[in-house]
Amino acid sequence: MSGTGVAQADHPAIEARVLGEVAEDLREVIGEEYALDLDITADTTFSQDLELESIEFVALADRLRERYGEAVDFVGFLAKMDVDQVINMHVGEVVTFIVDSLPAPAAAGSA
Amino acid sequence: MAEINANDIRLHVQRLAPKGGAAPDAPVVVMVHGMIMDNMSSFYFALGTWLADAGCDVICYDLRGHGRSERTPDGYSLADSLADLTGLLDALGVDRPVHVIGNSYGATMALAYGLGHGDRVASLTLIEPPFLIEGLGEEMARSLSQILVAMSDEEVAEWVENGAGRVAGRALRSARRLIEETTIADDMLATPPFSRDALAALPVPVLAVYGENSDIIDQAEGLAALVPDCTLVVLAHHTHMVLREATAYLRVLLGWWLFDRDAPRPDHVPPTERRFETPEWVTQMVPPPDLTSARRPEVAEKLST
Repeated sequence: MSGTGVAQADHPAIEARVLGEVAEDLREVIGEEYALDLDITADTTFSQDLELESIEFVALADRLRERYGEAVDFVGFLAKMDVDQVINMHVGEVVTFIVDSLPAPAAAGSA
Repeated sequence: MAEINANDIRLHVQRLAPKGGAAPDAPVVVMVHGMIMDNMSSFYFALGTWLADAGCDVICYDLRGHGRSERTPDGYSLADSLADLTGLLDALGVDRPVHVIGNSYGATMALAYGLGHGDRVASLTLIEPPFLIEGLGEEMARSLSQILVAMSDEEVAEWVENGAGRVAGRALRSARRLIEETTIADDMLATPPFSRDALAALPVPVLAVYGENSDIIDQAEGLAALVPDCTLVVLAHHTHMVLREATAYLRVLLGWWLFDRDAPRPDHVPPTERRFETPEWVTQMVPPPDLTSARRPEVAEKLST
């Protein structure tokens, strides 16, 4: 992964940007008023903290596939897990996967 | 791409492909989930992403009234479900025969689709299909009754409102609305039985998978005896919930079925650490006893004071 990922020096800024984008998509997928005030960090868990339904994770993956396009292989990422492993992930694990997948020039650009 | 109009309703669809896209001759796989307490996510995570990553062009969708698809007041008969699937394939422009994989009621639907639309089907994989020559409608209604019994209990209702948490609470409320606000129960009861003659002429290969400890395991042999090209796989130590319980083996089995059927079928090694059994509330139709004990601590505390 590291061969195609962003340069090390850019990591904190890129991770912060991607975390913001994932959190935005998560709030839209949850779609309830309380979600607007949720503090979503890398340590937030989909199941325990967000109580995300598995069908909502499908909708989240759909939005992320649309947002990041071909560069980020969510299908391959999710294929390595079963449903419990998916829903027990931290938000940060998804963010790290996205950052590691993004080609350097695109990742370094503005959101 | 997530929503399309098919057969005059709005269906939630996810199409999954390997990185770089599916090859033009890749198997097209359509997954049909179970009834009421299910949606596409069970297939999406168990087999959908895995088979897409392995090279398939995978279509997952939420049945009418389920998941994120439209909940119409009526239109839940088997014939309606088949028309929805045809409408879906047409709307997606799928003009090659598809491999249909169904689970539970979705498997019964898949079998009916193979009987009625054999020219559009390359193969059928039936995971735990309720299958009867007589009384299929009553069998479908029995499944609904089990869910209704579980939901009608006062303690369960209290748990749904106060202790179930967001996920279980939403799932149960959604199931209740589907049963109470639509014709699905009557439509299920009217499910026509399968015809012996039609089954004997089924033109497509069938892979049927049951759990040895399933409450409907006694229906497996009848299916295998009537369908001419049927591979029956019974998984030891597993129940009706085999899609969830034996995900890892089903991935390997489907890989063999779709890509390498001339090779010997992969062996199933029964789990030694856990034997799955059908819970009593399914066979006896009593509310699941662990629901109330599963209250979250803060709710249990509130209720006890």
